[in-house]
Amino acid sequence: MTDATLPTTRPGGLKRLVERYPFLPALVIALVLLALNGFYQPRSVSFIGITGLTKTYLALMMLAIAQTYVVYAGDIDLSAGAIVSLVNVVIVVMMEKMGGSGFSVVAALGLGLATGLACGIVNGVVVAALRLQAIVATFATSIFFTGLALYVMPVAGTPAPAAFWRTYGGRFFEIPFVFYAVVVLAIMLYVLARTRLSTQLLAVGDDAQAAFQSGLPVTRIRIQGYALCGLFAALAAFCVTGDTASGDPLVGGKMTLFSVAAVVLGGSALSGGYGTVIGSIIGALIIGLINSLVFFVGTPSEWQNLVQGLAILLALMAGILVGRRARA
Amino acid sequence: MSKIELRGVSKAYGATLALRRGDLSIDAGEVHVLIGSNGSGKSTLCKILAGSVRPDGGEILIDGKPVTITGPRSARDHGIGIFYQELSLAGHRTVSENICLSDMPVTRAGFVDRDALEARAARYVALFASVAGDGFSADTTVENLRADQRQLVEIMKALATEAPVIIFDEPTSALDRAQVDRFFEILRDLKAEGRSIIFISHRMDEIFAIGDRVTVIRDGETVGTERIADTNPAAVIRLMVGTQDELAPTNGAPHATAVARTFVLTLQNLSGKGFANVSFEVAKGEILGFGGLHGQGQSSVLRAIFGVNPVASGEIVLGGKTYAASNPREAIRRGLAYVSGDRGRDGVISGRPILENVTPIHYLRQKLRLARPAALADRVRPALEALHTKFGGLGHPINSLSGGNQQKIVIARWLIDRPDVLLLDDPTKGIDLSAKTDLFALIRKLAAEGMGIVLYSSEDAELLNNADRILVFNGGSVRRELTGADRTRYNLYQAAYEAA
Amino acid sequence: MTATTQARPPAPSPVLAFLKQPLVVALALIVALLLLGEALSPGFASAQQILRLLIVAALLGIVAAGQNLVILGGREGIDLSVGGVISLSAIIAGNVMNGADSGILPAIVACIIAGGLIGLFNGLGVTLLRIPPLVMTLGMLGVLQGLLVVVRNGIPSGLAAPGLSQFVTRPFLLGLPGIIWLWVAIGLLMAFMLTRTVYGHRIYAIGSNEQAAYMAGVPVKAVRISLFMLSGVFAAIAGICLLGYSGSSFANVGEQYMLPSIIAVVFGGTPLAGGKGGYTGTMAGALLLVILQGILTTVHIDESGRQMVFGATLLLLMLFYGRGRAMRG
Repeated sequence: MTDATLPTTRPGGLKRLVERYPFLPALVIALVLLALNGFYQPRSVSFIGITGLTKTYLALMMLAIAQTYVVYAGDIDLSAGAIVSLVNVVIVVMMEKMGGSGFSVVAALGLGLATGLACGIVNGVVVAALRLQAIVATFATSIFFTGLALYVMPVAGTPAPAAFWRTYGGRFFEIPFVFYAVVVLAIMLYVLARTRLSTQLLAVGDDAQAAFQSGLPVTRIRIQGYALCGLFAALAAFCVTGDTASGDPLVGGKMTLFSVAAVVLGGSALSGGYGTVIGSIIGALIIGLINSLVFFVGTPSEWQNLVQGLAILLALMAGILVGRRARA
Repeated sequence: MSKIELRGVSKAYGATLALRRGDLSIDAGEVHVLIGSNGSGKSTLCKILAGSVRPDGGEILIDGKPVTITGPRSARDHGIGIFYQELSLAGHRTVSENICLSDMPVTRAGFVDRDALEARAARYVALFASVAGDGFSADTTVENLRADQRQLVEIMKALATEAPVIIFDEPTSALDRAQVDRFFEILRDLKAEGRSIIFISHRMDEIFAIGDRVTVIRDGETVGTERIADTNPAAVIRLMVGTQDELAPTNGAPHATAVARTFVLTLQNLSGKGFANVSFEVAKGEILGFGGLHGQGQSSVLRAIFGVNPVASGEIVLGGKTYAASNPREAIRRGLAYVSGDRGRDGVISGRPILENVTPIHYLRQKLRLARPAALADRVRPALEALHTKFGGLGHPINSLSGGNQQKIVIARWLIDRPDVLLLDDPTKGIDLSAKTDLFALIRKLAAEGMGIVLYSSEDAELLNNADRILVFNGGSVRRELTGADRTRYNLYQAAYEAA
Repeated sequence: MTATTQARPPAPSPVLAFLKQPLVVALALIVALLLLGEALSPGFASAQQILRLLIVAALLGIVAAGQNLVILGGREGIDLSVGGVISLSAIIAGNVMNGADSGILPAIVACIIAGGLIGLFNGLGVTLLRIPPLVMTLGMLGVLQGLLVVVRNGIPSGLAAPGLSQFVTRPFLLGLPGIIWLWVAIGLLMAFMLTRTVYGHRIYAIGSNEQAAYMAGVPVKAVRISLFMLSGVFAAIAGICLLGYSGSSFANVGEQYMLPSIIAVVFGGTPLAGGKGGYTGTMAGALLLVILQGILTTVHIDESGRQMVFGATLLLLMLFYGRGRAMRG
């Protein structure tokens, strides 16, 4: 985060900076929102406040990351939320069936990851190998995944075992579990950013034909992007399960469009080739901060959704305009 | 034995045969030039070799063994690298990443080996360090580079394949003299290493400077191979042209000088992006030519007059009134017409019927609301017939036509309601000779009927045969005006190559 | 007269070309599905049942008309806000008429103005600020969902006027309710607009090559804004009809039409890239979707099975329509 203070002496410095760190406008918006949150409710920027915010929005952050990898390549995944639902019910049912012990939790999480991965690969094959249009094809798979989730758990309400949600909401050495999760996440993202795949996905999003002519296996790369998306959607499902402590076959549905919004807020281009996962995390945070700010300023409850909607729309527009201005 | 050999390779796109019969044989340690007019099939042939186009028939042999190239990756594995004319760069990636994109070095743990990547890229960047110009470094994002610098990156990318056979499809079109010289030095080194180079260029001097052998390709067919040492430019051009006639005979005499000159279009010190202080006037019935090397501001001036590109300063007078170009819509209402040579980008409304492609200007100028096919057909047919356009029916999609006929459709849209001034921006790019003949016959007829015409053409013969006066552009401004007997190829070349 | 003198590969047979037209594919699938439905549960293809399906298809089809226009206009045109507009329109209509026939006309006027205004905002954001349509209409959807909460808290949910309910559900002419006739009228109007008016030709022009259209004097921005406005208006009309169908408005009724309206357009042969296709196909696409759902509700399987079959069938059907271009030509 020290990047923001890099010297911008020569003309075009800002342009270079935004080009290198596309999430800068989002970061500024997030910091302003954080300050406003603190102004209206000092406790919200306390340790407990931040922990709560992270705990609530970690799932959306994960799903925004998931969405980012497909957006890198110029694709989109409208089934991301349905994958969250499916993984959520799969792990809850699995843990329940195996008695809720520590081992069952680990086994269930493994199965959850495999489920997310499988869903992602299905999406990838459908979009990249069968060459269907991503928006409609992933909408169709989202219906299919939702059907699967309903098959696994027809009605919401099966509780997750205490071993699971106590861990997620608990503390170790006085530090909340979610912060360990954030650290592990950061390492994972760093590692992923160093792999060939990130660069290849971005190159495909830049110009798929050019990437193909350069000898890149475009279809395989796009499938890998969707696979990665499925994996992170599974991680998002773990967070949702930790947060809600129960299974719900429709829990993720509403998250899909928010994940797209978070990606755009983070400065990534939906047309592909340009963006960062950090930006998407910040984008998810912005959504969370807007929601809490609307609450803290004392908006009457029935007006909250409208003000949130307006603020998100404005932030989306501002992010795109500022990003374009800075790069132009 | 040849390093690489093509026998009877062919490719059709729908109804169009892009490559009828390609026979080619390249030796190791040779620079083999491929030459042919636009659309003759050179690029298709190269793309087949590079694996990005699937051939319909024929055989490819490498080191005497027949091979099947299944894709770009497979071409690479067979030792073929390519420079794409339209470039294959990822705009948001850095120069280094682009150079190594096809084959990124990884560490044992599977991560991108940044050090190895930078080191490898640096080798190729260093090759052009002396000529790459300002703002070029390995960590620059490609979208921030100038056109010539991007072309250098594509060259580096092709070199970085270290393939035994490298194809360069028009690698020098945006490069300056020094960059071309440096590139040729590198090519000679590759040759000395025993590598095979396929080189495509339209510049005769380059071909004779670097080539060992030349193969001419015409109408999708390879028609002959000569040793450069044993031939000369005239002979190569004869092979390229074949038995086709030269352009239609010209009337020779400028027709506008005799009549009283009423100016329909006047520019005074017009400046904008890519051009500066351009002044001229076009009289009723006159054809004013724009000449010079490609991309010296000719196109920018025409687009500025038509309201597409912004004008920074200066004045345009149209039909006696000052005119501020704000957008094409306004320009069309004021009686201007503009035909772009890039018909795919600016002209053809692809996938739509011919009728819809001819009528948009008519709609605007007549303020129509309803489109009655029968009534429109009566207006449209004469315009299409004036150009001898060949088409099946007005309801057929424009894509079903050849390039020349597509361009005729695009031009015909301006003929239903006659404009006062016609701006032609290299209108014959990539169209066949007979279409060109039809087009210029029409242009001269329009001029005779009193239209003012500005013609930019990248083909000197077209200018010399048709323009009453020629303004030679260089570096964004007019260097010389050629009138009457001064309109010679020699004068045109001299002014075009003059140091800016 | 042929364009080129060069040898052509054998032309595809006209019969095959006819059969591959999206509209023909859709109609054939509709007949096949009706037969399948009848086989699975006798009585499925009864007149009454088909009428019910037609009404639902008309609702979806009217939304899809606007969606179709926005998609035809190209540049990744898409309208996700229709879901919100439908719901909002249903509430406005329900409150303005509040069960009285005299309120129908004012309700229609109010809803069309609201839908048109929302479309105007979308269009302005997309053209003047150059926000990608997906992002702009997604943001708008969020705003409308918030607005719905406000409106719902302030006022009762409202009642459909008897006249409106009759219009949607009772036979009006030749045994068909008014909404079917409305849909047919919209279909004729759209077909006329797209093929016989300058405006229609301009829509195709900007969708197929925006730059060329601009160079030919087409007011690209104005046309694109108008498309988003029309989408808002059509969604508003659908909202009013939906109120008539269900009697009173309830939460977020419109959202279930949002993505299906896009699928109906795609099944009708208009690719998401825009520039080609038309509304007749979309009407068939809407029917196809609704019949498919109808079959799934009549056969005796769980909700989960229904959804899985529905999703898988959608994917399968998509394979019939324009798939993307292969990388290697």
